[in-house]
Amino acid sequence: MPSGTMIIIGLVQVLVILGLAPLLTGMIRKTKARTQKRIGASIFQPYYDLLKLVRKDEVVSDQASWIFRVCPWVNFAAMATAAFFIPVFLVYTPFGMVGDLLLVVGLFALGRFFTMLAGLDVASSFGGLGSSREMMISALLEPALFLSIFVVAITYGGTNLSTMIGASSNTSFLPHPQILFAAIGLFIIILGETGRLPFDNPATHLELTMVHETMILEYSGKSLALMEWSQSIKQIILFTLMVNIFVPWGISSSILISSLAVGFLTFIGKISLFGIFVAISESSVAKWRLFRIPDLISIAIATSMIGIVLCYL
Amino acid sequence: MTESLILFQVIISLFLGGALLGLSLRNNRFARHVIFGSSMIGSVFTILFSIGIITGKPMTWMIPNVIPFFDLEIFVDGIAAFFLLLIGLVSFAVSVYSIGYSKEYHDKKRIKALGFLFNVFILSMVLVVASNNAFFFLLFWEVMSLTSFFLVIYDHDKEENLKSGMTYLVMTHLGTAFIFSSFLLCYIQTGSFSFDAFRQGSTGFPLFVKNIVFVFAFIGFGTKAGMVPLHVWLPKAHPSAPSNVSALMSAVMIKIGIYGMIRTIFDFSGFGTSPDFAWWGMLLVAFGSASAIIGVLYAVVERDIKRALAFSSIENIGIILIGLGLSVVFASFQLTTFAVLALVASMYHTINHAVFKGLLFMGAGSVVSVTHTKNIEHLGGLVKQMPWTSLLFLIGAISISGLPPFNGFISEWFTMQSLLSSYHIPSTILQISIAFASLPFALTIGIAAATFVKLFGMTFLAKSRSKYAINIKEVPRSMILGMSSLAVICILFGVVPYLGTSLITTAFHMSSQPSSPFDSIVIQNSSGTSFANLSMPVVVIMISSISIAIFGFIRALGGNTKKTKYGTWDCGFGSLNERMEYTPTSLSQPIRAVFKVFFKPHNKTEKESFGENPYLLKTIKIETAIKNVFEELLYTPIVSSFVFFFDKVRRLQTGKVNAYLLYIMITLVLLLLFVRLSNNA
Repeated sequence: MPSGTMIIIGLVQVLVILGLAPLLTGMIRKTKARTQKRIGASIFQPYYDLLKLVRKDEVVSDQASWIFRVCPWVNFAAMATAAFFIPVFLVYTPFGMVGDLLLVVGLFALGRFFTMLAGLDVASSFGGLGSSREMMISALLEPALFLSIFVVAITYGGTNLSTMIGASSNTSFLPHPQILFAAIGLFIIILGETGRLPFDNPATHLELTMVHETMILEYSGKSLALMEWSQSIKQIILFTLMVNIFVPWGISSSILISSLAVGFLTFIGKISLFGIFVAISESSVAKWRLFRIPDLISIAIATSMIGIVLCYL
Repeated sequence: MTESLILFQVIISLFLGGALLGLSLRNNRFARHVIFGSSMIGSVFTILFSIGIITGKPMTWMIPNVIPFFDLEIFVDGIAAFFLLLIGLVSFAVSVYSIGYSKEYHDKKRIKALGFLFNVFILSMVLVVASNNAFFFLLFWEVMSLTSFFLVIYDHDKEENLKSGMTYLVMTHLGTAFIFSSFLLCYIQTGSFSFDAFRQGSTGFPLFVKNIVFVFAFIGFGTKAGMVPLHVWLPKAHPSAPSNVSALMSAVMIKIGIYGMIRTIFDFSGFGTSPDFAWWGMLLVAFGSASAIIGVLYAVVERDIKRALAFSSIENIGIILIGLGLSVVFASFQLTTFAVLALVASMYHTINHAVFKGLLFMGAGSVVSVTHTKNIEHLGGLVKQMPWTSLLFLIGAISISGLPPFNGFISEWFTMQSLLSSYHIPSTILQISIAFASLPFALTIGIAAATFVKLFGMTFLAKSRSKYAINIKEVPRSMILGMSSLAVICILFGVVPYLGTSLITTAFHMSSQPSSPFDSIVIQNSSGTSFANLSMPVVVIMISSISIAIFGFIRALGGNTKKTKYGTWDCGFGSLNERMEYTPTSLSQPIRAVFKVFFKPHNKTEKESFGENPYLLKTIKIETAIKNVFEELLYTPIVSSFVFFFDKVRRLQTGKVNAYLLYIMITLVLLLLFVRLSNNA
């Protein structure tokens, strides 16, 4: 059994993820605004939005069934549960023995399953459109994600995230060539999973471009707040995984206050830099045509396959 | 020992009794209850019996010379009991369901025939699994094939059903021929039809004989299991049968094929733990991944709800075969821990698939019985009219999509872990091949989720798209009850994986872990640290406590807010109607477009416009169809060459006596020559 301190640190890591998720979204939006020569909203804007939304009354479609109503709660519960398994600033999380990276992927899929159903539930063609596109994208992202997990798990000896990040933090700079390939693959997947350009444009409400937004179009008030928040949590989880697996340096490996503080600060630094990097790269590409997206995903699959071959050679 | 024997005899007499009563009773409500009631009780006894065997000792029963020279040998060990349990669980639920379901056939058809065949079908499956003699195995196998054939053509007024029945009959006999050859080889080697002799003798077979025995059994049992490319009968036969029978066929009967494979691989064909046999495993993995991906691709574009489920059975058989194959590969390199892991994965998926596919087929049956259409293009909006069916179908859909915390996730997690464990295999080429096999596997899981979003969403959600789906009632209570019993197992096996793992490890006599329901499942890596952990009960506790916490948090933050009902946002144009909704075909269109190399869709568009302007359309008609690669490229040529050949052969039968006399003459001369020549030698 893990000690009390460990459990407390574990819970703090969860709260960091849940609490900082909207901030990351705010930072990405701010950076994007700046690259477009706009001042942009404050980086705390997503918090104000959430606060405003939970206080608003809701309008629910008269076509909607209970699936539509439970979807935000399922989504949030799935994403928040996933957050428990992610080491943030300490290489270890006491909840690591409850679930592994594959469970995290499964929880994401659970959220997405309900979101797709909710999109269909309201009987509008918008919702169907989003679900239809999401069906294709998620069906293709799943194997890409599994293959890049395959590379990382075999290299670092586990799908258990504590084992994985513990092993990666003990290594010097890019010790295994396959990790580079897995990183490229995972980066593309993260863009797809979080609905960023060139997969999906989170800033528009235009039927030609949107995927995720169409499915949640009918939501308002508390439900919308939950959907938005869980999307940000998913984003910060994926970003955390990316930085902690591939750039683990600075992460704390002991529970001394000083090293925890260093770990926390480097985590904030790394994740902000990664967020800014994503925002800038997003500003420099256009939305791709829907049927070109499979090409991009196949690049992710191919690089992961190269990674696997390199593992064994 | 004697108790289990008595129990076994009781099971046989209950199913036989149900069958005979079915023949003798009149067509009424009473008959329905008696026929399916007796199979229900029989199933309960089967469950008790198999649990008794798994936790206790194997049972043997022998009646010498039942048929001259052949002894009826019954032997139920852990493996057989595991499959009996599966038969018992599903047939219990299906029997309960059938009490209400068969009402539909009251006026039209003879329930007698249905009841008779239904009981004999279940009994034959029980006996196939229990037999310990090649002759009786094949006999019961044939009974199973024939009763299921008659059940497939039960609705024989539709010509389509007769056609599917014929395809099924031909394919299943092709499979039986291979199984027969495989057993015959064992007989030639051992001189006995008893499985005991096969077991003892098989270690001494020469290597090539072992290989042939395996390949024949693989083809034969693979046909029954619905493995690609021998799957063509499955998507035809399963949807044609009445839905309760489809549930039995898809959930249980195809698993008997898996049972046969396990028997032949691990029991008789002298499977040794040497790398000589690694290719067996790789063959299974290869065909498994092909079945998985091809099955799911057809499932996702399908519009017939039952046929989509049938294609998804092919997919799941593929996943089972991947696990089984990995287990063989690991065992051949003496990596026992991982062989156990992969076998647990495969068997867990076997029982899971039986449970959720049974549930889904019954759910589909309920939908079909009230709407009278299998085409999901015509459905929609059933969630409000059939709340129970839709909830139960949703449980099945989430389970089969492999989402936590339901049972499908557990077996897919195990299979993924087995794939990842391939790095222990001391052969680079095998490692890389298995890694490549994980690509179709992962793609399958992704597309399977999409398939069930489509099936559930299009059947139950949004507005009804046709008159079929309006003003319908929820199905009778017995049908709901039958489905719920399997839904409960879906949840139990997902939340407490210990139930499944301990069941499998006890049945197969393997070391078990976790050791208690709340322990986490641990897989260790080579350096002794944990490779992966999973503790589903804790995950479920976490999910539920988070839900409660966030509910309170949001409430505290935002206070009490109102919910108003209003029409779906229609961009201000007004009157959104069901014709503007996404249809099943349009929903899966992106996937069809991405995999167009595979589907080879051909679209035909006819437009009629007002006057000269091509943009002002009066009517537009679009036809789209996909190509069935296997039938067009593989089976049609074979069938037409057979027809061509036998057309030529038919010319021998001229109908003239002189010609026949000539044939007799030629045969006689040939025989005399043969005798003469063989004497010389």
